[in-house]
Amino acid sequence: MAELLLDPNIRTWIFIPIVIITFFIGILRHYVSILMASPKPVQLQQVKDTQALLRSRILRENGKYLPKSSFLMRKHYFNDATSGILKIGQDRPAAAAANPMQDPNMLQDMLKGNLVNMLPMMAVGGWINWMFSGFVTTKVPFPLTWRFKDMLQRGINLPSLDPSWVSSASWYFLNVFGLRQIYSLVLGADNAADQTKFMEDQVNVSGAPPDPRAAFKAEWEAMELYEHKYALRGIEEELLAQFPVSRKQKKSQ
Amino acid sequence: MAGDGTDDLGGPAYNELAAMQNLASVDYGRIFTALLAGSTAGILGLTGLYGFLFFFVSNGLLGLLVLQKYNVQYKPYFKKLHMIFTHGLFNSLLTYILFWTFLYGLVHVY
Repeated sequence: MAELLLDPNIRTWIFIPIVIITFFIGILRHYVSILMASPKPVQLQQVKDTQALLRSRILRENGKYLPKSSFLMRKHYFNDATSGILKIGQDRPAAAAANPMQDPNMLQDMLKGNLVNMLPMMAVGGWINWMFSGFVTTKVPFPLTWRFKDMLQRGINLPSLDPSWVSSASWYFLNVFGLRQIYSLVLGADNAADQTKFMEDQVNVSGAPPDPRAAFKAEWEAMELYEHKYALRGIEEELLAQFPVSRKQKKSQ
Repeated sequence: MAGDGTDDLGGPAYNELAAMQNLASVDYGRIFTALLAGSTAGILGLTGLYGFLFFFVSNGLLGLLVLQKYNVQYKPYFKKLHMIFTHGLFNSLLTYILFWTFLYGLVHVY
């Protein structure tokens, strides 16, 4: 099948170990991050804000099942010019922006995050590169164009080798991306094994906490624009029309 | 969601969380399908387009089985029909390719 004959020792000592190492490092990362996680203190105001926004959103989504008067009452609670909670939330003075560098807890969390995620990522990536570098490990079972050569043959320099062949370093990266889904099978959906997800989180952490006032303003606007249309208009007549017999009986009575 | 207030008046009212839960369950099955199909394709030694075809066929089969479970009455459980077939398709393709390559390598390359 293959026009290149690979030493079976490469399979036993490089190809399979990389899969196993990548998989178990993910599992390990998950459990270490559970061990090191510290519960974040929740502020009352923050919970209130989130719940208010959530209720307002639900009202907009399902308000069509309420009669007009009921809907307007609820809208008044949220959007009234003087006492609506969305309006009050908008006008609230900005909370002193917490500087993450001054809060020791925050700093510690960031350090832990780095310790659990960045360090192993670089260490393991580097270690795999150093330990298993320069082997042709396998061949992807589909043809590829020459552009993929840089991606799949990292660490080996053979200009005439078909791009379908995969080097050991690239096999590691293939595993990192392919095993993401497997972790959600093994560990459940909210696992910490995925290192690419952490990179996205990292971007969010660096900024200040999101301003609730902007969220309140957006929700207030959306609520103002929402046009209430009663979905159950005429439902009694429709229901009665389904039972013509009982209707006749009513008339005869 | 304010915009589609008029057109789904006749349809069921969805509980967003429950609908997401359903999608997550289908995703779970999809990953498992990708894992098994990838292994199968690798052992069979499918190459090139046949392998990708096999992925989409197995994925379509999963979708049909899900539909069969609900006697084709998917409406109370999923918002759109195509979500049963395509939600999270790309991620499961990555898994498929990994296992396809892995077992193809083990069986046919060495």
